Amino acid sequence: MSERDTDTIAAVITPPGRGGVGIVRLSGSLAFSIAQQVASKVPEPRMAHYGPFIDHDESLIDNGILLCFKAPHSYTGEDVVEFQAHGGPVVLDRLLQRCVASGARLANAGEYTERAFLNDKIDLAQAEAIADLIDAETTAAAKLAARSLQGEFSERIHNLVSALTHLRMYVEAAIDFPEEEIDFLSDGKVAGDVELLIEQVETLLAAANVGRVMRDGMTLVIAGRPNAGKSSLLNALVGNESAIVTDIPGTTRDVVKEQIQLDGMPLHLIDTAGLRDSSDVVEQIGIQRAHDAIAQADRILWVYDGDADPEHRSFEESNLPPHVPVTFLHNKADKTGRKIGLDANKKVFAVSAKQGEGIVELKAYLRQTMGLEQTTQGEFLARRRHIDAIERALEHIRTGKAALHEGLAGELMAEDLRHAQLALSEITGEFSADDLLGEIFAGFCIGK
Amino acid sequence: MFHADHYAVIVVGGGHAGTEAALASARMGQKTLLLSHNIDTLGAMSCNPAIGGIGKGHLVREVDALGGLMAKAADRGGIQFRTLNSRKGPAVRATRAQADRALYKAAVRAALEEQENLDLFQQAVDDLIVENGRAVGVTTQMGLKFRADTVVLTVGTFLGGRIHIGLENYQGGRAGDPPANALSLRLREQPFTVERLKTGTPPRIDKRSVNFSVLEEQPGDNPEPVFSFMADRSWHPQQIPCHITRTNQQTHDIIRGGMDRSPMYTGVIEGVGPRYCPSIEDKVVRFADKDSHQIFIEPEGLTSNELYPNGISTSLPFDVQWELVRSMKGFEQARITRPGYAIEYDFFDPRELKSSLETKHIEALFFAGQINGTTGYEEAAAQGLLAGTNAALKAQNKEAWCPRRDEAYLGVLVDDLITRGTQEPYRMFTSRAEYRLMLREDNADLRLTEKGRELGLVDDKQWQFFEEKREAIAKEQQRLKETFVRPNDLSIEQAHELLGDELRKETRAIELIARPKSDYAKVTSLAVVGPMHSDKPWAEQVREQVEIQAKYSGYINRQVAEVEKSKTAEAVSLPEDIDYALVKGLSAELTEKLARLRPQTIGQAGRIPGITPAALSLLLIHLKKRSA
Ligand SMILES: Nc1nc2c(ncn2[C@@H]2O[C@H](COP(=O)(O)OP(=O)(O)OP(=O)(O)O)[C@@H](O)[C@H]2O)c(=O)[nH]1
Ligand SMILES: [Mg+2]
Repeated sequence: MSERDTDTIAAVITPPGRGGVGIVRLSGSLAFSIAQQVASKVPEPRMAHYGPFIDHDESLIDNGILLCFKAPHSYTGEDVVEFQAHGGPVVLDRLLQRCVASGARLANAGEYTERAFLNDKIDLAQAEAIADLIDAETTAAAKLAARSLQGEFSERIHNLVSALTHLRMYVEAAIDFPEEEIDFLSDGKVAGDVELLIEQVETLLAAANVGRVMRDGMTLVIAGRPNAGKSSLLNALVGNESAIVTDIPGTTRDVVKEQIQLDGMPLHLIDTAGLRDSSDVVEQIGIQRAHDAIAQADRILWVYDGDADPEHRSFEESNLPPHVPVTFLHNKADKTGRKIGLDANKKVFAVSAKQGEGIVELKAYLRQTMGLEQTTQGEFLARRRHIDAIERALEHIRTGKAALHEGLAGELMAEDLRHAQLALSEITGEFSADDLLGEIFAGFCIGK
Repeated sequence: MFHADHYAVIVVGGGHAGTEAALASARMGQKTLLLSHNIDTLGAMSCNPAIGGIGKGHLVREVDALGGLMAKAADRGGIQFRTLNSRKGPAVRATRAQADRALYKAAVRAALEEQENLDLFQQAVDDLIVENGRAVGVTTQMGLKFRADTVVLTVGTFLGGRIHIGLENYQGGRAGDPPANALSLRLREQPFTVERLKTGTPPRIDKRSVNFSVLEEQPGDNPEPVFSFMADRSWHPQQIPCHITRTNQQTHDIIRGGMDRSPMYTGVIEGVGPRYCPSIEDKVVRFADKDSHQIFIEPEGLTSNELYPNGISTSLPFDVQWELVRSMKGFEQARITRPGYAIEYDFFDPRELKSSLETKHIEALFFAGQINGTTGYEEAAAQGLLAGTNAALKAQNKEAWCPRRDEAYLGVLVDDLITRGTQEPYRMFTSRAEYRLMLREDNADLRLTEKGRELGLVDDKQWQFFEEKREAIAKEQQRLKETFVRPNDLSIEQAHELLGDELRKETRAIELIARPKSDYAKVTSLAVVGPMHSDKPWAEQVREQVEIQAKYSGYINRQVAEVEKSKTAEAVSLPEDIDYALVKGLSAELTEKLARLRPQTIGQAGRIPGITPAALSLLLIHLKKRSA
């Protein structure tokens, strides 16, 4: 039966949680070609290869070990590749996403073992346990999926699905009932709706955030008054003396950029010139650059000298853009004696940049604000499935829109929308042709 | 008493399913008997006088591609032809013909009488003869017994029918016909699951009492589309238009006033009616904000004085029908010739059928048509053809055949029925077909005729026509692939006309056809390309085919890839004796469902509502263990 299902599946096979090493496994006919793309090399079967794993934009995902197994001498009996990377959920997720973007699909619960059994790689006695395994993993996956689908995200997905269904209802009704005075394809209704739908999906994806943030990382801009200790903080976070620190206000003139990793996610740190009214031409330019950087920030770390300006009054007057979230950093806690970390009101975070106190806590806090902290790896992956489905749906809706605009007939758009719905039904459950007809008959007075 | 002759196939019922079944089996060289309670009603259109429409026209073309009759009879009897969705793409274009009942029936009768290997016999069938779980013949009303290897039942037109007009109701088959009660009772004793459905018809109107001068006319298309691949316009009789009127506020008031005597709204009728064909009272109640509904006035024939007002199906009392009809424009003086009515009838749960349409409970017994919960002549004809074919195959101990969902609407129809069953009279819509872009009217022959030939359904004449056409398509495609158009072959105007832009590099003619603004005619009118020279009857079909394939190629390739993926699941069959209770890990609910429905393949199992991918994995594992 080895000729069945030759699609290539991918999954993180190490247990959820923050382990030291995590493994992403690929099985199927594309496994080796994906390994070639990710690691620029396919080592001899069973030979470990250490090297960089590269994303499609050439950026580094991680350094790790690659192992290849040639069919039929593998766990599943198919070509198998294993990437061993550092165990944080973001690295593993990026790696997984990279594999999916290169042609694999996310594996179902128990699917490796199932393939192994169907390809005669494990015997009947061992196989006895598979049914239980599939059952358990399916239940666990369902639970995790349900958890990652809670709250606002879930509501937005459901809104999205109903908007898509609604659009399909119009398109399909126009196709199947041309005599019913309901040709929305030609009257512009559908063209307008598809536009709105695309916007809706894009906003949802942006809100789900994981996709963009993980690919591009987040940009943190360190801003504040001169001498607040911004450059000291940058150095403390990076772990070396990359910015000049002096006790002269106005030391930093240009923006200083550094990059660190948080759970494998790139974090772009930008140190800026202290904000103040200045008559110095060079400093003025530096301050302008600081404002430019602030405008691009995903988050501002507003550093203030806890000793000189305990109420951080300085912040009010610095006219920062209103939509960027701000973390207030009470610096020089060694002088003020303030308790390191987040205060009870969760408004101010106290550190001592100079002593390096509170830096570990600050990183943990940043992780949390980026939505990486509270999710376990399992939930993370469950969410990845959803985002993956939504991204595929978006792709189809876009092609559908293009088909409609090229003046081609509605049935091509209908085909794309069907695929979009198919993708989303991985989240929401089956939506059959008959369900769609039901929507049509409930929505329009149809029939002779 | 046994009749002397032994038949390979007996077909019971002479409607659209029965006639196609009998013809198919006889074409395959099997000695076939068609039993009907009235030979004069063979091929009768018992409901509205039209063939085809969206999804349905596709089925008619498939029947035609497999050597069946319906398309040809429609060409002989069609008095108004239109292509629906003509402004949309080819996949969803569909042919529809308004038919003259008498001409259509005559064409069917003639074909049946000319068919070799086919005997007709007039007598109602009262019983089925079953021996050791296998159907071996039938007993007629007068006690005559016929023996056969296989039996096809197409007696669905209103098994156990009950007709409702207002709060009155009585037993009856299709208006005028007796219901097939004796057989219905006997079948109810068999282990089939019987369910009930409902449908309705409008009152018919005397043409002479209608004022056409105030009505909107709806002419047929010019040139007229043709149904059969083998036919041409010269087959068509005289063409006449249809008309359109509308309900109005007054009509709706009359309807609301009669609601207290509606069998549907007073709970007398229990059967479920079709969602896509609501009665006029249903439309008025459910879509109260719509102040008018279109009514298509269809002629019943060139020589008939009756009209079929499509859109006012009703079971309201006769006095209300009379008033509501007369409230509409053009109908002020209209006389009703037959009252409208609702009818409730039995059908057998089609999930108890195999994809061959053989019943799972009784071997060698096949069901086709309305008995399976479908509605429509086209759905019936297609099933009839399939059941007749498989009955003939079974009589020869050959393996059954059913097209897959990606091969034919017929495949979609059967697969939907056997995996999902139906809660309302099932009719075809293109949205039911996931491979809609591949399943077109225009390529029904390319999809099915070769298989039809292999099965013995397609005669020499059709086969030769098809082979020539197919070869010509390949040749023309090759020519257009090898012909290059260079930027300086085109004037600026020509380039704009074809591309809306300039031509940047040397391009194959076939690729130019695929561009959104371009088409076959434009490209072959370029001097460098030139037309295809042929005066063969299929020449136009070839040009059309080349254009459509070029235009759809990207999407079709994607669908082909999708089909390839699903094929493996379709190929894994589930043994008939599988004990689902032994499948480890399967929930009680799914175990019960699978045990009851007994799908034939993993693919079918996957399409049963509620069956999850994990459940399919468990089934695969179980199968593997069994075979170990
Ligand atoms: N006691 C104490 N001193 C600090 C701390 N952080 C920074 N300093 C001192 O504050 C002075 C200014 O530090 P910088 O990091 O250069 O401040 P800045 O905000 O970058 O200043 P500009 O670049 O001039 O805007 C230096 O003398 C630092 O040693 C701290 O946590 N505790
Ligand atoms: Mg500085």
